[in-house]
Amino acid sequence: MKFLKFTAILSLTIFLWSCDNDDSPSPEETGSFQVYFDNKVGSNEVNLTAPGDKNYQYETANGEKFNVSMLGYYVSKIVLEGPNGEYYADEMDASAADSKGYYHVMEGESATANIQIENVPAGTYDRVTFTIGVEEDGVQEGAAGGVLDPANGGWFWNWNAGYIGFAIEGTAENSQQEYVDWGNGASTEEKTFALHVGGWKDVADNENFVNNVRTVTLDFGTTVTVGDGLSPMAHVVTDVLKMFDATNIDFNTTYSVHAPKAGAPFANVLEQIFVVHHVHQSTSSHD
Amino acid sequence: MIKNCRKYLTFGWVLLLLYACSDTEAPDKPFGFEKPEHFPEPTYTFENNPVTKAGFELGKKLFFDPMLSRDNSVSCNNCHQQSRAFADTPLHATSIGIDNQFGIRNAPSMANMAFMQEFFWDGGVTHLDFVPINAIESDIEMGESLANVVEKLNNDEEYPALFQAAFGVSEITSPFMLHALSQFTAMMVSANSTYDKYVLEGQPLTELEMAGMNLFQQKCAACHQGELFTDFSHRNNGISSVFGDEGWATITEDPSDIGKFKVPSLRNVEITAPYMHNARFNTLEEVLGHYDGNMVDSPSLDPMFKNGGEVVGIPMTEEEKVQIIAFLKTLTDHDFISNPLFRNND
Repeated sequence: MKFLKFTAILSLTIFLWSCDNDDSPSPEETGSFQVYFDNKVGSNEVNLTAPGDKNYQYETANGEKFNVSMLGYYVSKIVLEGPNGEYYADEMDASAADSKGYYHVMEGESATANIQIENVPAGTYDRVTFTIGVEEDGVQEGAAGGVLDPANGGWFWNWNAGYIGFAIEGTAENSQQEYVDWGNGASTEEKTFALHVGGWKDVADNENFVNNVRTVTLDFGTTVTVGDGLSPMAHVVTDVLKMFDATNIDFNTTYSVHAPKAGAPFANVLEQIFVVHHVHQSTSSHD
Repeated sequence: MIKNCRKYLTFGWVLLLLYACSDTEAPDKPFGFEKPEHFPEPTYTFENNPVTKAGFELGKKLFFDPMLSRDNSVSCNNCHQQSRAFADTPLHATSIGIDNQFGIRNAPSMANMAFMQEFFWDGGVTHLDFVPINAIESDIEMGESLANVVEKLNNDEEYPALFQAAFGVSEITSPFMLHALSQFTAMMVSANSTYDKYVLEGQPLTELEMAGMNLFQQKCAACHQGELFTDFSHRNNGISSVFGDEGWATITEDPSDIGKFKVPSLRNVEITAPYMHNARFNTLEEVLGHYDGNMVDSPSLDPMFKNGGEVVGIPMTEEEKVQIIAFLKTLTDHDFISNPLFRNND
C-alpha cells in the first residue's frame, strides 16, 4: 500500500511537472496582434440605411440596385502563422460564462471590428486563418454565453439549432418582398432582403446536411513582427459586393434566405470576399 | 498540447483518487446524474454542466414557473406532467399554449432526455440545453422572448440569489438558465419499470408479457431498439399520405423526407397517450391496428413496411396484439412518475 501511495504521488508530480514544462518551454516574450475587419461594398464604405430605404447607393455587376441595413458575421478559431514555423491559435472555449475565441463583427458597432489577440508568442507572422461561423464543436457544447448568448444578441436558429454565421440585410430594387405587419409594432418593409447563412451539420453519409461554416486563410504578402511593445495589425477588407457578384444574385428570386440549403451558394463564395488589404507593424500607425 | 496536458492531469487525479480511496471510507453518494447500468452512455454534456442539488432545484423551480411565458400563464409543466412521464395529459391531444392556442404536435415524454441525440418530433435540436428556447419563443407555446425571460428573472426577488448559489454568477444570463433547466430535465431518468427489474434483477415477467416481449423483438425492435426503445432514426410510419407538418424534411430540406418523424422511445408508453406526432391514435390497440393493415402508402413510407410495391405493414393476430401490449405495459416506471424528487415544491 505504501508503495502504491508513493507511486501515485510520484506519478502526479511527474505529470504536473512535465505539463508545466510543455506549456511554457521558456519564459518567452509575447505581444498582441490585432485583426481589423473593414466592411466595404466594392470600393465604397458601408453606409447603413433603414430597411425599405429606396434611395439605392450600390449596384451589382448585373445592375441590381441595393442598400444595406444590417451586416455582420461570427469570426472564430483565429490562427496566426509565420515563415519560421510560428503558430498561435487563439484560445477557444464556448461555455455558459463566456465564448472565448468567438467574435461577432457587426457593421455600425466599431468596437466589434477590432479583434485583439493577446499572448501571441514573439516572432514574425505572415498569414492569418479564421473561421466564419460556429462549427459543430461550438454548437454541441450546449448553451454558451458572451457573443453566442441568444438572449444577448447571439444569432441563434431555434428551429434547426445552431448559429447564423454570416448575415446581410437591406433593400433591393428588384426584391419581391411585400410589406408584412407582424403585430406589436414589428413589420417587414417592402422590397427588403435578408440573407442569413447558417447550418453546421457535416454528416458523412447524408448529403441532406449543409455545412455553411467556412475557413479562410489570408496571406499578408509581407511579414510583421510581434514582440514586447509591438502590436501589429492586419487590415482585412470584407467586400460584400463580391458575394453578390460571385453568386450573380437576382433579388427578384433571392430575397429571403433563412435555411442552410438556400444559404449554401453564399457560403461557397465566402472565402472570396475577404482580403488582407494591408498590414501595419504598429497599431498606432493606423489612420 | 492543452489536451495532452489534460489527459496527464486526469491520469494524475485518478491516481490521487485511488490513493485517497485506499485510506478513507467512501463518502455519501453525491447528488447527481447516474447512468443506469444497462443504458448507453448519456449524450448530455455533463462535463460543461455538472448536476448539483442547487442547480437541480433551480431548474425545477424554472420548470414549474409560468413566468417563462409572455403573460405568466404557461409553464413547462403545463404540457409535461410527471403523472404522464412528463408527456401531456390525454385531454390535450395537441398541447395548449398561450392565449389557449392549440399546438400542432403531441407533447412527448421527457423521460431519459439525457440519452437522446435529437429533440422534438422533427429532430431539429441536437442539444438538450437548446430545447427550452423553442418552447419559450414559440408563438403558440409560451409566446415570450428568451431575452425577456432573462430580464424578468434578474428583476425577480428570489431568482438572483438562487443563480448565485447554483452557478456563482451575480447576473443571470440565458446559458445559466438553460443549464439549470437541463440539470432538472437530464435527471429525469426512467429505468425502474417491471421490464428493467426483469433485465437487471431477473425478476420474472408473466407468460403473457414474455410472449409479448418475444413478438416485440421480432416485429417492433427494428426501430424501437435497445434499452431506450428507439434507434434515433426518422421514419414515415404510414399514418397519412398528406403532411401539413413535414417533420424531418423541415430540417433536411429534402422532399424525400416529408412525413418522416423521430422514432419515439416506448418507455412509459402505456401512460403517454395519445400516440404519434399528431396525436392520431388514442389507445395502444389503435396503434397496433394501424401497423396491422391500416398503413397508408406515400413516397416516403419506410421501405420496411413494404414488400415490392405493396404495403404490408406489420401483420399481427389479435392474440399477438394482446401479448405485445402486455409487454409494452411492463415499460411503465411507477417509481419515476411518483418520485418526489421531480415534484413541485411550491
